[in-house]
Amino acid sequence: MTGAHRRILVIEDDAETAEQIVDFLTTRGYLADLAANGNDGLLLGRSAVYAVMTIDRMLPGMDGIKIIRRLREEGIVTPALIISALGEVDDRVRGLRAGGDDYLIKPFAFSELLARVEALARRSATVVKETVLRVDDLELDLISRTASRGGREIKLLPREFQVLEYLVRNEGHVVPRTMLLEQVWDLHFDPSTNIIDVYVGRVRRKVDGEQTYPLIHTVRGVGFCVRAPR
Amino acid sequence: MSVLLAKTLRSATFKLALVSIGLFGAVMVALFGYVYWSATTLVLSQTDSTIEAELASLRNTYDSAGRDGLVRAIEQRVTETRIASGLYQLADASFVPIAGNLKKLPAGTNGTQGWTEFRADALNPTAPGEQSLFRARWETLPGGFHLLVGRAIGDVDRFTNEMYAALAFAIGFIFVLAAVASVSVTRRTVGRIDSINTTSRAIMDSGLGKRIPLRGTQDEWDHLAQNLNSMLERIEGLMGEVKEVSDNVAHDLRTPLTRMRGRLEKASIGQRNPEHDQALIGDTIADLDDVLRIFSSLTRISQIETADRSAAFRAVDLVEIAEAVVELFDAVAEAKDVRLKVAGDRTVAITGDRDLLFDAIANLVDNAIKHGREAGQVTVEVTLNDSCAVIAISDDGPGIPAGEHQHVFRRFYRLERSRCTPGNGLGLSLVAAVASLHKARITLVDNAPGLKVELLLPLVEDSLDGNSTL
Repeated sequence: MTGAHRRILVIEDDAETAEQIVDFLTTRGYLADLAANGNDGLLLGRSAVYAVMTIDRMLPGMDGIKIIRRLREEGIVTPALIISALGEVDDRVRGLRAGGDDYLIKPFAFSELLARVEALARRSATVVKETVLRVDDLELDLISRTASRGGREIKLLPREFQVLEYLVRNEGHVVPRTMLLEQVWDLHFDPSTNIIDVYVGRVRRKVDGEQTYPLIHTVRGVGFCVRAPR
Repeated sequence: MSVLLAKTLRSATFKLALVSIGLFGAVMVALFGYVYWSATTLVLSQTDSTIEAELASLRNTYDSAGRDGLVRAIEQRVTETRIASGLYQLADASFVPIAGNLKKLPAGTNGTQGWTEFRADALNPTAPGEQSLFRARWETLPGGFHLLVGRAIGDVDRFTNEMYAALAFAIGFIFVLAAVASVSVTRRTVGRIDSINTTSRAIMDSGLGKRIPLRGTQDEWDHLAQNLNSMLERIEGLMGEVKEVSDNVAHDLRTPLTRMRGRLEKASIGQRNPEHDQALIGDTIADLDDVLRIFSSLTRISQIETADRSAAFRAVDLVEIAEAVVELFDAVAEAKDVRLKVAGDRTVAITGDRDLLFDAIANLVDNAIKHGREAGQVTVEVTLNDSCAVIAISDDGPGIPAGEHQHVFRRFYRLERSRCTPGNGLGLSLVAAVASLHKARITLVDNAPGLKVELLLPLVEDSLDGNSTL
């Protein structure tokens, strides 16, 4: 990755939250610039050297949505993650319509912030059209929609295949439950039950059952991660 | 008493009554005026034509029989009409009376031609010196004689006086009657309004327990009082609910918060132990997530309840949503050995919000699996009938006692026996909010055994009606 792809713009007015986000991103190897108000955010955003920007909805001076709209009008397409304490139901739609690329509701887990930022950063990098995905001895054939591990076929329902595919595509990164719901089920709310865990649990039994080591890991309180053993 | 009087005089009803009385009085005066005018006009025109006919007849007599003939004719008429009211008088050129029944020529009328009205001694006096009003007409005959023919119009005069008297009496009577009526009506109105005002003040001072007294008259005041009372009833119910909700919020949030606080406090005075600390942090984050989830469920429900999202409605297929929900819960059902399936029609199109409908159905399916029988059967049936689309989620578990049906949609309400299963008692509140947004009805039916929850969604036409009012 180039330098620009490790550089994140954080537009956040709450000093402590801003510091936590910057610290967290820094420890994960990102270079984070902070703008504490809307005008600074707009100025920095215009320089367009960022892989991703995170934008708080309610800022002094300017609404976060307005910043995104202004930048988009100026032709700046840096992926934007809107972070908001406002209600989820309508604001999400409004934020995304204004040109935001993803939406995160306060309070959030930092690991979820990271997962979303990484997903957006990867999106700006080129996507290779693959037909087969591999992690260790797990193989997903995207054409025939079949999966196998160590050469032995795994029987998966279509939706289970989608879950596994999304996890494998994000290999090594944590996929939060909410992202899985959004990407696989197109649901934009947290059903506040453990259905996703149970669902992924079943996929895991099919993939990791009777194997010497697991590939699908649960990250407590956040989501799931597909990772080959080191 | 004087306070009541002052209140009566100030009241809007009283002012309205005054205006009506004024209007009524004006109409009455106009009516009397018309009757008077038309009656007198009729009487006078009859008199005038009689006088003119007499004049013409006498002129003919004069023309044919000369002065003496005319005098005879006049004397004949005077004796003939002694009991009647005819007035005849002939005078010479210098107005010296020649013949007739007028003892004295009316002053000021000498020399006047045409019509005149004057007072003179009555022709048939019932009392000495009685005067009467006459209407008459002078005619000058060839030869310089002046002929006066008239009729007493005392009747018209009396009629006029009686008319005035009747009008005065009627006006006086109506004003007295109207004053009494308006004061009593106003008092009654003021009294009813006062009782409503007293109740409202009592409610402001001491709480929602008071009700406006009814008089049992079934009039509009009673209806108003009934409506206000049922509004108070509803407000009281809502207030009770709000209190219960905030009590429950306090309980459901305080319990995990207390647990976390205790845990952290214990850790802060204890020895540092990396492994133990890690577990503690993990547990605390999980607990915090629970608290946040309750919080966001509550805001989500209130957002659905308050914001009008029907503008964002799209065409959705309920069967597709039901199938997606069932697919999502497939693994959970399998873990409990529950058979979960979709039944009913192949496709059921309505307009609605997919996310919210999904959430509502998911909550109902979640409940059915959670509270149904181990190794039982949960069915999501989507059907279409004439007036609505029906989603029925049924299980074969223990069900909900009929007495509890009305409570389960309240926030945080949980059946006694389900206190120990996971959940926060907000699921059905969310379902209720989503249903009301879609103008849908929810019914709980005994599935014998088990529970069947039915969502009855009105069809597209109905929701279009709803949209057109936006």
